[in-house]
Amino acid sequence: MLVVKDVSKRYGDFTALQQINLEFNTGLYGLLAPNGAGKTTLIKMLATLIAPSEGEIYYNGKNIIDMDEQYRELLGFLPQQFGYYKNYSPKQYMLYLAALKGIGKKEALKKIDDLLEKVALGDVVNKKMKKFSGGMIQRVGIAQALLNDPKILILDEPTAGLDPKERARFRHLLTELARDRLVIISTHIVSDIESIANEIIMIKNKQLLYKDSVEDICSTLRGNVFETTIDFDLLEAFRKKYVLLSEKQEYGKMIVRFIHKGVPEAGWKPVAPQLEDVFLYEYRDEIEGEV
Amino acid sequence: MRILLNEVKKIFTWKTMLLLLFINSLVYFLLIEFYIEYFPNGSGIYSYNIGLEKYGVTMDDDEFIDFKKVYDEIVDEATRYMQSREEFVAAGLDTYELFQAYDWGNPSQEASALRDDVFFGKKTELFWDLQERERLIEFYNFRKSIPEVLTDNQRDRLNELIAEEKFGVYTEIVIRNFKSYITNVGIAILFSVVLVISPTILRDRSRGLLQLQYTSKKGRNLFKTKLLAGYTATFIIITGLLTVYLGLYSLNNTSMFFKVRINTFIANESWYDPTFFQFIMLCVAAIYLIGFIFVTLSMSFSNVVPNMVSLIGIQIPFVVGFLIFGLNRLLPNMILIWIPKWLTPFSYGGMVIVCIIFIYYLIKREKKIDILT
Amino acid sequence: MMSIILHECKKALTSPILIGLLVVFSAFNLFVIISSSDHKAELKIINEIIETYGLKITDDSLDEFNSNVQLDVAELNRMTASEFTSVYEFLDGLSFENQEKYSDEQWEFIHRLQLKEMYLNMAKSIDESYEGIDIRKLAAGEIEKYGLSGKAAETFLNENEKFFERFKEMVSNGEHKQWFFAGKAYYMHTFLFKTIFLQIIIESLLLIILTTALITTYEFENKTHLVAYSTKRGRKLMKNKLLSALAIAAVIVVFLFAITLGTFFTVFDYSHVWQTSISSAFNWEYNFPYIAWWDLSVGTFLIGVIALVFVVLLLFSGLTFALSVTVKNSYITFFLVAALFVLLWLLPSFMPKSANLLFVSAYTLPTLLLAVSSSFMGSSGLILFENFEWMTVSCWTVITIVVCYMSYKRFIKIDIS
Repeated sequence: MLVVKDVSKRYGDFTALQQINLEFNTGLYGLLAPNGAGKTTLIKMLATLIAPSEGEIYYNGKNIIDMDEQYRELLGFLPQQFGYYKNYSPKQYMLYLAALKGIGKKEALKKIDDLLEKVALGDVVNKKMKKFSGGMIQRVGIAQALLNDPKILILDEPTAGLDPKERARFRHLLTELARDRLVIISTHIVSDIESIANEIIMIKNKQLLYKDSVEDICSTLRGNVFETTIDFDLLEAFRKKYVLLSEKQEYGKMIVRFIHKGVPEAGWKPVAPQLEDVFLYEYRDEIEGEV
Repeated sequence: MRILLNEVKKIFTWKTMLLLLFINSLVYFLLIEFYIEYFPNGSGIYSYNIGLEKYGVTMDDDEFIDFKKVYDEIVDEATRYMQSREEFVAAGLDTYELFQAYDWGNPSQEASALRDDVFFGKKTELFWDLQERERLIEFYNFRKSIPEVLTDNQRDRLNELIAEEKFGVYTEIVIRNFKSYITNVGIAILFSVVLVISPTILRDRSRGLLQLQYTSKKGRNLFKTKLLAGYTATFIIITGLLTVYLGLYSLNNTSMFFKVRINTFIANESWYDPTFFQFIMLCVAAIYLIGFIFVTLSMSFSNVVPNMVSLIGIQIPFVVGFLIFGLNRLLPNMILIWIPKWLTPFSYGGMVIVCIIFIYYLIKREKKIDILT
Repeated sequence: MMSIILHECKKALTSPILIGLLVVFSAFNLFVIISSSDHKAELKIINEIIETYGLKITDDSLDEFNSNVQLDVAELNRMTASEFTSVYEFLDGLSFENQEKYSDEQWEFIHRLQLKEMYLNMAKSIDESYEGIDIRKLAAGEIEKYGLSGKAAETFLNENEKFFERFKEMVSNGEHKQWFFAGKAYYMHTFLFKTIFLQIIIESLLLIILTTALITTYEFENKTHLVAYSTKRGRKLMKNKLLSALAIAAVIVVFLFAITLGTFFTVFDYSHVWQTSISSAFNWEYNFPYIAWWDLSVGTFLIGVIALVFVVLLLFSGLTFALSVTVKNSYITFFLVAALFVLLWLLPSFMPKSANLLFVSAYTLPTLLLAVSSSFMGSSGLILFENFEWMTVSCWTVITIVVCYMSYKRFIKIDIS
């Protein structure tokens, strides 16, 4: 459905993405990468906000920039940070956006009520948005992305500001939507997409690293993830020797989860690799470099 | 279109209305009020009605003879007045002719006092009236003369006017008052539209609304709508303000002059010969044009600068530069022969073309530009 | 502390548009000065006169001047083979063709003689002109002109009496008998203190309002307010912003003054007239000579006016600050300050002409700024009061401090979200 072909993006001397090739079909895709890896750049290119320096993006064979409004008609987009008019109520705000999305007023009113109900904002429909909490604003954002019943739904960090209950509800909503739509979520909260994504896309060093199902990605570390208990003072040395995935303090000792490729030592317990383990392993240089 | 209406609604908030009210009140009290409250003023009071009452829109030779007759009658009245007062007779000033002929360069104490009395003592307006009539008569007598220092075009035009018998004989206070009035109204309107329209495009940019706007079906075409909304709002504001200001102007009661050709006013030789009313309409059209030109500039800057302070700062040289160098030449004096004939059409035409080019490039740029925030 | 202030200053200094405006304004000022400088060579005559005859005009110096002029006239007569008593006679009777007869050098001589005679005649007529000045009668005329009555007229007359005393004192001191550029010919006082100063003032005001508003509302407009105001320095950052705004204002004013006045005094040679009294008889441009309340020289007057303008402009920075802190929006702030300026200036026109309120309402900063050429003088119409300048500045300094303090205190307390 949506094909990214040989796409690169440069800003002057700096290359953000290089030779990206991707194909999307109906389903839920998770775009997973640390900050600065190029997630938002890719997302914005899919949303026509920025143009690729090289390469093209096709929808059903047609270049999305050439398609112009026909493509955007199918698009629902939630940016990482978006603007709104403080003195508007969510209803007024969504009416404004509905007009821009080419939805007639009567139809829009009905949809707006439905959607706001769906994101649990049914009782503040006419309140000014300047009184909203961050989570409420975010939910308005989700609602507006669904306004035109988009075939392609692109969400950039959509669960920021949502509490666990809202996040669970959101996951459920997305799974429903992904049944007959393309949904792309960019996030670094692994738990959000681990359980619901059909495929995960990871970008490293400006290029595509993985595009695969969760199981297949996890299997790259099969047999390499262990847990063990060590003394506190041995922690420092341990860190230097192995890639640590997590540390937990329990009963005066440290339970560590780490990667080792090779023969395990005695006392180590092998565990099934999780998506977050792959994330931490693959991006270890970048993360360590930052810290 | 709903979208256009939404954009226009974003411009007309109650804060904007308040701003408009405030600006116009300020400029009104500062610059405009004078021309309504104190009209006619000075010696103009006496010539305000002269001419029009009896002679219609022009004064031909016969009518002039009549005018002189009336003048003579008033001179007699003045003489009678002077003779009725002992002091005048005592000072040897018992006829108007003697009064005129007196050597006012070296007056005696008494003569000075008498003169001050009739002009400033407020007991009679006769002498002011006579003075004004004399001035008009002099202008009439000189109506066919041409000054020495002229360009060829100016000379040709003046000769043309003389040939068509279009002389400047009517008192100029009416046209001068209008010109001053409309210039200051122009300033108020210019400030109004620039202050109201400039921030509109910048606001959406600063707030990060472009990401949602440009990914909708309407997409980057919304930019064209925003421009159109700016122009629509400008039109509404200018029309509203002009209605108010022209309404105020009607308090000056100059409608009887509407049919007079503007070359018939003293010292108002112009390249063309519209009636006063047509001239008013011309000024109105000019104000609309100026408004649209400056709003184009404002919206262009609004689309490019990083913040509000820069927006204000960058427009200052343009607005002030225009007020100092361009306003008088392009509004009240736009067809006066003392500015070159080509200046007005060239300037307006040039500015409009520049605006069109600006708009074209802005729209083109907006289609391609990366939206990063 | 210092580094915070420097950082705040950077916010204004790195705005290309503000720098650009500074350049444009300076260029404009230079343009105005240079395009009005055609008479700068003529002005130099006064330097010669002062050097030869001294600064003060005494009977002796006038006599000396007179005899020298007579010598020049004799020279003229030799040149033209005639018997003129003054160069003006020669010029009046000169026909167009005869102009060609004389060389450029001779014309220079004639021209200088003309100027010398002009100054000599003006100097000779000083006593007579000043005797003809009836301060009381003029005051009555002013009262009628402005339509004053009741208490207002009374106050005006009282102040005028004080001015009358000063006038008499000045005449007996002979303060006015000092050489200066001929007012009615060159209008140097108006050109410098009205035209040029006004330009500097308006330009500085615009820049100061913009930079102060920029610095003060910066965090809010760039959405860094939540982070900035929850730091250790926290809301006290506003104090730094105020100091920074004042510093930038000072820099702007100094810059514009330096460039503009630097050019002005390079073009126009004031080297000999610094010591001349500002109340010089030659400093008479319109209906009445400029007469100051105190014996101020041109140099002192200039410094006084510069200091006055400097302080007032800083006060405006303070007032803008107070408004920005409250309003938090630079656009509205700009407009409000401009509106305030105009309103304060228009204030007297709304007052009844019979009450003292008429005068009190003129003790505002805009009035002071816009009438700076009449500072310290008793010849300035309705603001002739001796205490006008220091009273206005002190009162408004207090007002500004109070307003800044109040808005700062309020900022400390309010919610930031």
